[in-house]
Amino acid sequence: MMSEPKRLHPISAVLNFAKGLKEAILPIVAIFFFNGNGGDGFLAWLPLILSGAFLLIILLAGFLKWLRFSYWIDEGELRIEHGLLFRKKRYIPLERIQSLDFSEGILHRPFQLVKVSIETAASSGLEAEAVLTAIKRVDAKELEKTIYEGKSEQSSFENDAEMPEENDRSLVYQMSTKDIILMAVTSGGAGVVISGVAVFLSQFTEFLPIEAIYEEVVDWLQFGIFIVGILAAFVLVIAYGVAVILTVLRFGNFSVFHDGDDLVITRGLLEKKQVTIPLNRIQGIRIDENLIRQPLGYATVSIISAGGSIKGGDEQQFKVLPFIKRKQIETVLTGILPQYALDVSPERPPKRSKLRYVIRCLWLPLLVSIAVSVFFWPLGLLSLLIIPALIGLGLLNYRDAGWNIREKQLMLSNRFITKQTYFVKKHRIQSCGYSMSIPEQRSRLSSIEVMVKTGAGKTRARCLYLDENDTKTIMKWFQT
Amino acid sequence: MNAPRKQISKRALSLWRVHGGISTGISVLVAIAVIILTNLFSWPIWPSLVIGAVILLEMIFSIWLIPSIRWERIRYEVREQEIDYQYGLFIVKRTLIPMVRVQHVDTEQGPLLRKYRLATISISTAATVHKIPALDETEAENLRHSISSLARVAEDDV
Repeated sequence: MMSEPKRLHPISAVLNFAKGLKEAILPIVAIFFFNGNGGDGFLAWLPLILSGAFLLIILLAGFLKWLRFSYWIDEGELRIEHGLLFRKKRYIPLERIQSLDFSEGILHRPFQLVKVSIETAASSGLEAEAVLTAIKRVDAKELEKTIYEGKSEQSSFENDAEMPEENDRSLVYQMSTKDIILMAVTSGGAGVVISGVAVFLSQFTEFLPIEAIYEEVVDWLQFGIFIVGILAAFVLVIAYGVAVILTVLRFGNFSVFHDGDDLVITRGLLEKKQVTIPLNRIQGIRIDENLIRQPLGYATVSIISAGGSIKGGDEQQFKVLPFIKRKQIETVLTGILPQYALDVSPERPPKRSKLRYVIRCLWLPLLVSIAVSVFFWPLGLLSLLIIPALIGLGLLNYRDAGWNIREKQLMLSNRFITKQTYFVKKHRIQSCGYSMSIPEQRSRLSSIEVMVKTGAGKTRARCLYLDENDTKTIMKWFQT
Repeated sequence: MNAPRKQISKRALSLWRVHGGISTGISVLVAIAVIILTNLFSWPIWPSLVIGAVILLEMIFSIWLIPSIRWERIRYEVREQEIDYQYGLFIVKRTLIPMVRVQHVDTEQGPLLRKYRLATISISTAATVHKIPALDETEAENLRHSISSLARVAEDDV
């Protein structure tokens, strides 16, 4: 038991400083560069002095934050005291703790440290319930053990359950480097990098003598469309390369373990991350297939979990199988979640809803491209070229929609751009409903949707334009 | 599956009409401002005409059409196992909320609602919130009691 108050590793002062710096970098830069007309004497130095003072304050705050932070375990609670001016105390009962997530940054690794995020069911929104910025790895292991023991003490108190087996961590799934690279190549990640480069370049146009360059460029263009093409391809290849490297760094050593009642996901080459998902918090399974991966037969499997917080869009924490052959999913998942049957054959929406799927994809872009065609007459007509593609997408959406009921399990699949297939158990569904617009009513079609809890929010699974009777079947199934 | 049986208080209609009237009133104020500006700066007349037409439509929709359609649509029924709720304007939506999923029930009442002795009840599950608007005050109170006692019987995690 660690009933003595403990302090974080001193390196967390540096980490606090870095974090403070990251938040304050814009104001500092602003102060430093917007020094008006220069001025003279004291005024000229003012920006420098101010930003210096700013830095010093952040440095000091980082240090004080570390100094005033202490944590310990007492009376079955994890107690944390911190705060610069106001002393803050947070006591978390051990049995409330859902999971401990470990991550290791570049600064952590030389010192054998980890960052520990403590999640409870209440950790809603952006922050974990408590974060220990940097503690020794052995301490983290001990903390985990203590919390585990504290929890099992509590539960054996309640129902004399047998002690959960100690550390029988078994490897369920591991990603090969080839898979990771293939995943990076088939993801939209490269697009993000390209747009990042574009934004970066657009920042510089302000400083460049555009007018003068423009003349040059026009000349250059005369003989240079070919070169521009090569240049564009070059940028594309580099962007893809960067995306691949980033993905490899983030997903390197990706492995999933089955550990008692938890699922543990570890990943990362530079920054190691470990996420724990308690199996009894799992609300459902989602399989995503995007337009590039589906023809190749690959998919992404995510677990919908009720615990945990949403950290800055870092949704990967619940991607258990980020890139896997569609056919392998069954075999891998039956080891962890045997209660789900994934190889079900879906019921499809009726033929008469085909047109609706097409219209759903088409109407807004069609309006836009008509507007574009009118305003940018003749050239704008080119925008009409996307129409056949959209019709194709609509038909694909129709083809990929489906539902299935097997005992207590509901499967709903739906595509807008990425095909999403949900598997949920009846007792995990928070609410179930259908909707019918007036024209749908006329052709006796309706759309079903079920809500499932995810972290702090909800996930909606649905299937559009089903035959009215099918919707009723699902509602009846849900009612009984 | 038959539609749920109960309807909300008829007074909700008058409440929504008042709401519609208020929002139309605000639009009228905007329109007056535009007309004054048009006169002052001798702008073209067509924006004022468009705004006038929009206000006319708003009046018809928000005071007359929408409240009655909405009122006609809203049906609910609280059974032992579930809450059955139907709503929607041009799209009919129907939701089933199992009693075991209900986390808590709230009623709320703004000043206008209080004037009409109405209250809005919101039923929260772990993931969703469902609001039945403008119920009769006492009806809402009863509903809250019965739902929370029915929901308490069943214990289940999340």
